[in-house]
Amino acid sequence: MRFEQLNPFTVAVYYLCVLGIIMFSMNPLLIGIALLTSVLGAVIGGTADRKAHIFSLAVFLIAAVLNPLFVHKGMTPLFFLNDNPITLEATVYGLCAAGMLTAALYRLRDLGKVMTSDRVLYLFGRFSPQIALLLSMAIRYTALLRVRWRKICDSQRALGLFDDGNLIDAVRGRARVLSILITWTLENGIVTAESMESRGYGTGKRTSYAVYRVHKIDGFIMLVCILLTALSAVGIYFSKAAFYPALSMNLLHPWGIAGAAAFTVLSLLPLIINGREAIRWRLLLSKT
Amino acid sequence: MALVTVKNLSYTYPDPNGRGGACSSRIVSDAGSGRSDDRHRALSDINLSIERGEFITLMGATGSGKSTLLRLFKPELRQNGELEGTLTYAVKTDEGDRDVALDEEIIHPRVVGYVAQDPEEQIVTDKVWHELAFTLENLGMRQQDIARRVAEIASYFGIDRWMEHDTATLSGGEKQLLNLAAVMIADPELLLLDEPTAQLDPIAATRFIETVYRLNRETGVTVLLCEHRCEELFPLSDRIVILDGGRVVFDDTPRKVAQMIGKDDKYSAFLPTAARLFHLVTRSAQTNDAIPQSPLTHVSGDSLLAGSGSPSVATRRLPNGEHLYQREPEIPLSVREGQRFVGNLQIKEAPSEHTDAPLTEEALLLKNIRFRYERRGADILRDLDLTVYRGEVFALLGANGAGKSTAAAVAAGLRKPYAGTVKLFGKTLKDYKNGTLYKENLSLLPQDAESVFLHETVGEELGGCDEVLKGLPFDLSPLYERHPYDISGGERQLVALAKSLSAKPRFLIMDEPSKGLDANRKALLLEVIRRLKADGVTILLITHDVEFAALCADRCALFAQGRIAAVDRTDRFMTDNRFYTTVASRITRRFVDGAYTVALAAKRFSTDGGAV
Repeated sequence: MRFEQLNPFTVAVYYLCVLGIIMFSMNPLLIGIALLTSVLGAVIGGTADRKAHIFSLAVFLIAAVLNPLFVHKGMTPLFFLNDNPITLEATVYGLCAAGMLTAALYRLRDLGKVMTSDRVLYLFGRFSPQIALLLSMAIRYTALLRVRWRKICDSQRALGLFDDGNLIDAVRGRARVLSILITWTLENGIVTAESMESRGYGTGKRTSYAVYRVHKIDGFIMLVCILLTALSAVGIYFSKAAFYPALSMNLLHPWGIAGAAAFTVLSLLPLIINGREAIRWRLLLSKT
Repeated sequence: MALVTVKNLSYTYPDPNGRGGACSSRIVSDAGSGRSDDRHRALSDINLSIERGEFITLMGATGSGKSTLLRLFKPELRQNGELEGTLTYAVKTDEGDRDVALDEEIIHPRVVGYVAQDPEEQIVTDKVWHELAFTLENLGMRQQDIARRVAEIASYFGIDRWMEHDTATLSGGEKQLLNLAAVMIADPELLLLDEPTAQLDPIAATRFIETVYRLNRETGVTVLLCEHRCEELFPLSDRIVILDGGRVVFDDTPRKVAQMIGKDDKYSAFLPTAARLFHLVTRSAQTNDAIPQSPLTHVSGDSLLAGSGSPSVATRRLPNGEHLYQREPEIPLSVREGQRFVGNLQIKEAPSEHTDAPLTEEALLLKNIRFRYERRGADILRDLDLTVYRGEVFALLGANGAGKSTAAAVAAGLRKPYAGTVKLFGKTLKDYKNGTLYKENLSLLPQDAESVFLHETVGEELGGCDEVLKGLPFDLSPLYERHPYDISGGERQLVALAKSLSAKPRFLIMDEPSKGLDANRKALLLEVIRRLKADGVTILLITHDVEFAALCADRCALFAQGRIAAVDRTDRFMTDNRFYTTVASRITRRFVDGAYTVALAAKRFSTDGGAV
């Protein structure tokens, strides 16, 4: 079983845990681990292309530089820039914050790739079949409207009614396209309504069908996630990282090390699951 | 006992401007009949009984009331008109069938299924599997039951391969198949289909009809289908019902209907090509040889059309009391039967061919065009070369998704190719400055008429087109007060056509203009094209309607794999193609050349000399 094939609930819980720790820890050790593992995951999993890596690097650098430039708290000035102290504390804090932001961005990108619209729907549909249907229809209509927008633009342009010559004309043209789009969609919406009605919508209590199942491994992995997260949180508590006025942290506290180890395992969980799958597959192939 | 029984049914719409296709029947055609006194009455005195498991095709011109009748069988979809007479439905009970009035209480997706014309608008959700499950979710079924039904229906319809796809990515044919599957998943007894293939290309349409036929044969579902597509439906249907002006004018087996209609030209457009050819040939035999009746001969004499199916023997009493055995030839309905029929006819000399001088002045030139939508995507147009000469009607034919519409968009300057040149009347499109391209030079009639309308009424929509309107063979003025969305789809297309002509283009591109039109409207459209051509307008026709192209194009091209696979004069194109050609050509091509329309074919065959 690959990580993406787990039940959407499990996947959601996993990302909730990882992102929670990343965003609320502010512990240099954990953030270092988070940054390394999320980049590793993106490279191995192929969820980010070169452009995305460059973008992340830019985010990291900007965030890291901005903090010491604007925040002058801290007891240890490194040097002075325009008579303003650049402090060690602010620099470290900046690095941590930048690491946090970058790691979170990588993780969110993974999440976006894994959590396709039907998985999101499934998550919401567990709570209410109505909301599930509403979301599903919204997604379907977005696709439809996009196609129609293009068709209307083409028709209007080919009839000579759409001038891109100057800004006012262009804006007026778009407004007209929008008006046609709305009329078209609302007027033809009656066909959709009839299709729903003739297929029994509104005749009784709805159920919600889903293609995802819950397996034992889902429960197991959720449990592992929660335990590792709890351990990481304990580690964060005992490490007592503080940046201002002076850096003070006890990163090598036994619980802190245990927490960091737990978080490493948590961060690498998708890679571990997929790696196990890959090895099994290899073995299976070599046997046949 | 009949599944559904309709007795003395009449249906009246409350106001003439009400919604629905049927009430907008006061059409625009020249042949507008004087139905002014009962114009709100959509249906009158309908008597119909539908047996379990029957496959019935309902035909009629737009506005004949067929959609209205169909919707009456599905009470959820009835509009607030006034219904007289009775409509009963046989419910199975322990003591056998019991007739109940067809009203909302018993109607349920499990009893009556309904598929409408527009493939796009009927889809509710974003994923294919969810669309199937939607119907069952509404019925409150349990998870595992839904899973089973969805799996069953998906494999029956062959849609299991795209179960996980987004509905938005499907083709029109796939969408309509999905709509049918989503209705059939509730296992209805009666399946209603309102012009389900009008928006599809011929291949997808045939596939759809075959699926409906298969459902009918294999599951016994009763089918009531409204369609214009007679070629496929005459051979398949158990019964043909033809409506005109809200009344049933024919209700019999396809062969009987085909036989009867021959005497009545008004309805001949509903007949398949083979049957029309039969009538044309046998009728010309009557006029030439002054035979008083249709092809009837003594049994002792030579059978006129021996071998054209098993002849039915009828008796007729002559005035002198003698019985005359008549052998009535069976009327052909399909291509195969048509071939058998013409195989026994005399072949006449081909009329002398008058060839027009070939056109030489280029109107549109596409050279080495390459186009793709996305940088990483595949090429949609691959090294496309196309020349359209000034003054001709050029038809670009091909399957849906082959890139015809994209080629049109490139020709119209709406999409920029990444390689190649586009020239219109000798100038590149870029050289038309300040929007002059779309003023008096080029116009494109889009596939979706809805994308054209801006105003509240048709009158406003057509403001400033007076001169154009005068040149059209139909009158749109009765529609001026109506909203563009309150008129029927066919009327909307005509309004869009008038609008696309308002800039008086020298070059007109029409994208699927015949889609969803009935025979009368198609005739109007043909007339428009003829007049435009006479005025010197060059026309590029993008279509998958081979029959339509055969009637109006000077040259045809077959578009495939992003380029043109064959281009030729229409007669040679239709004669040389074996599969992608007209029905008339498929019937006659083993016997004569160049008979690619019914009219041409009728000139090449005669019954002279009787049996061969």
